[in-house]
Amino acid sequence: MSRASRLGVFIVATLAILVVGIFIIGSRQYLFNSTYQVKAQFSNVSGLDVGGEVRVGGVHSGTVHSIDLPHNASEQVTVVIDLVKSTHEIIKKDSVATIETEGMLGNQYLAISFGSAGSPEVRDGDMLASRQPLEMADLLRKADSLLDGSQQAIQNTTLATAHLNSITDKIDRGEGTVGALVNDKQLYNNLQQTTGSMHETMLHAQAGVTDFQENMEALKHNFLLRGYFKNRGYADSGDVAKNEINILPTDAPLKEFTYQVKQLFDKKDAAKLTNPKFLHDSGEFLTSEQFGLAVIVVSAGSEGDAQKETALSEARAMVVRDYLVEHFGFDDRLLKTLGVGKQAGATAGNDWGAVRVVIYPTGTRMPANKNAPKAITSPVDKPIPSLSAAADEEKIHD
Amino acid sequence: MITDFFEWFGEIGIFSWRVLRAAVTPPFEFRELYRQLDEIGSKSLPLVALAGAAIGAVLAMESFESMTRFGARSLLPSALVYSVVHEIGPIITALVVSGRVGAGIGAELASMKVTEQIDAIEASAVNPYRLLAATRILACILMLPLLTLASDLCGLVMGWVALSMVEPLSFHQFYTSGFRGSDFNDLLPPTFKTAIFGLIIGTIACFQGMRTRGGAEGVGRAATSSVVLSSLFVILTDVVLVKLIIIFFP
Repeated sequence: MSRASRLGVFIVATLAILVVGIFIIGSRQYLFNSTYQVKAQFSNVSGLDVGGEVRVGGVHSGTVHSIDLPHNASEQVTVVIDLVKSTHEIIKKDSVATIETEGMLGNQYLAISFGSAGSPEVRDGDMLASRQPLEMADLLRKADSLLDGSQQAIQNTTLATAHLNSITDKIDRGEGTVGALVNDKQLYNNLQQTTGSMHETMLHAQAGVTDFQENMEALKHNFLLRGYFKNRGYADSGDVAKNEINILPTDAPLKEFTYQVKQLFDKKDAAKLTNPKFLHDSGEFLTSEQFGLAVIVVSAGSEGDAQKETALSEARAMVVRDYLVEHFGFDDRLLKTLGVGKQAGATAGNDWGAVRVVIYPTGTRMPANKNAPKAITSPVDKPIPSLSAAADEEKIHD
Repeated sequence: MITDFFEWFGEIGIFSWRVLRAAVTPPFEFRELYRQLDEIGSKSLPLVALAGAAIGAVLAMESFESMTRFGARSLLPSALVYSVVHEIGPIITALVVSGRVGAGIGAELASMKVTEQIDAIEASAVNPYRLLAATRILACILMLPLLTLASDLCGLVMGWVALSMVEPLSFHQFYTSGFRGSDFNDLLPPTFKTAIFGLIIGTIACFQGMRTRGGAEGVGRAATSSVVLSSLFVILTDVVLVKLIIIFFP
């Protein structure tokens, strides 16, 4: 390579580097784009420099052309901004200029917000609205007042704790009502004595009730009253609801025996069995067959007081159950009763109601007892359709 | 010793004045200037480019560590561009050129001096200040900014290569974020201050070469002293120049 060409290449290449450098920087300064100028005023530009970045919607779209201090103290610092022509459609008269910091300690730059659609476009040399920059010093001042406030709060808490302390002190020393309660042994002893004597009284009362029960039992078997109970058919009304269930299971029954009340009982208003031999077929079935549950359902005739009739049918169901349990050998826990009282479809006159022994196969869910709390009753246990009317009627009487 | 010190300044002042007077009056020695431009400019390019590239890579690797520690890694391209263009490129170029060219000029002129070739030139009615000194000094002044630009470019490219080996970074992204917020004051004054470095290197090297005495020993002494003094004065002048640039090109 000749000397001339070597020198020529060197000079051209290095000058090209210079030109590229100038263009890179110049394009960032928008020296080679067509620009227009807008202005904004701030009371404090917080270190913004001439040549600083101007961002529109976060995009670098211009530079700070100049920053002019005001001529008198009542005016503000004017920042003249060069913006590229392409931002003309975005920046409107109601755009707002703010000075922001890149990160916590970064460069200051000027940000201009988009204008609203209906607002007129800015013209060269227009003044934009501005929002004053948030200065670090202001922030610190705010943080300072915040800290002051929290200090006050902590002082209050300390004060409250001190009060609490003095209160517990007083309690500890036995001052005041609470103090006396906590500290006075006498008071506690009195209370204990009172509870002790109350317990004793309760024991006496219980013994008295047991005595009374025994007396009543004796009275029932006294010859003067024995007739009444015998005619009624049963001695103890407390046992009536012992095995009574709420509703029939929804499962299909295995077998059903139906008897007329008139066949089995001697009087219309009593629960004394006269012809229990009719029950033998159901009793034999229960003894010989496997079953999950059997229910004695007793209904009443259409005459008489509904409440009384219900009580009577419940009692009759119990009497039938007692008879079956006494005369046939099967698991008596599986035999339940259900007195349904007056039936809707019963005919008047001679109809005293019916006794049905409904037998369900093994695996049938045991329904809840009538006296058991409601919560135990499963929502699945709904009355079967044939009995729903009776159940409804029962509800009305309840 | 003290008198030697002041004498040196006095002599270099007189020398500079003679060179200046010779340089601005015709006839101009264009052939010799052209030869020196090639000698000082294009022949120094490989050395300067290599030095710049190495420094750029070193700087990138070093500042990657420290910037990461301070959590300012996104500012790394900016920091690299700023330091290479502002200071590292110019000063490395000036020092490399003062080593290569200063020693060359000093030894060449000193050997001409001790073999009485300079006296012969003077006898043939040619001004040795115009022919030998002015052309070399002018070539230094003209070539140093161009060499600096080459050094800057190599430094930045190698800096980018070093950065992109640590984490992926496109060259476009590198220079967009590197030149963010920079203006002409970041490029032109630091680059053209090296013309003053060229003036210092050329003047001291020519002066040391042309004032030497004695035989081969004097040639060696002239070469050494021109390198040492020109490097020293380049660095000392840089202190003043940086301050002046900050004041006049904020």
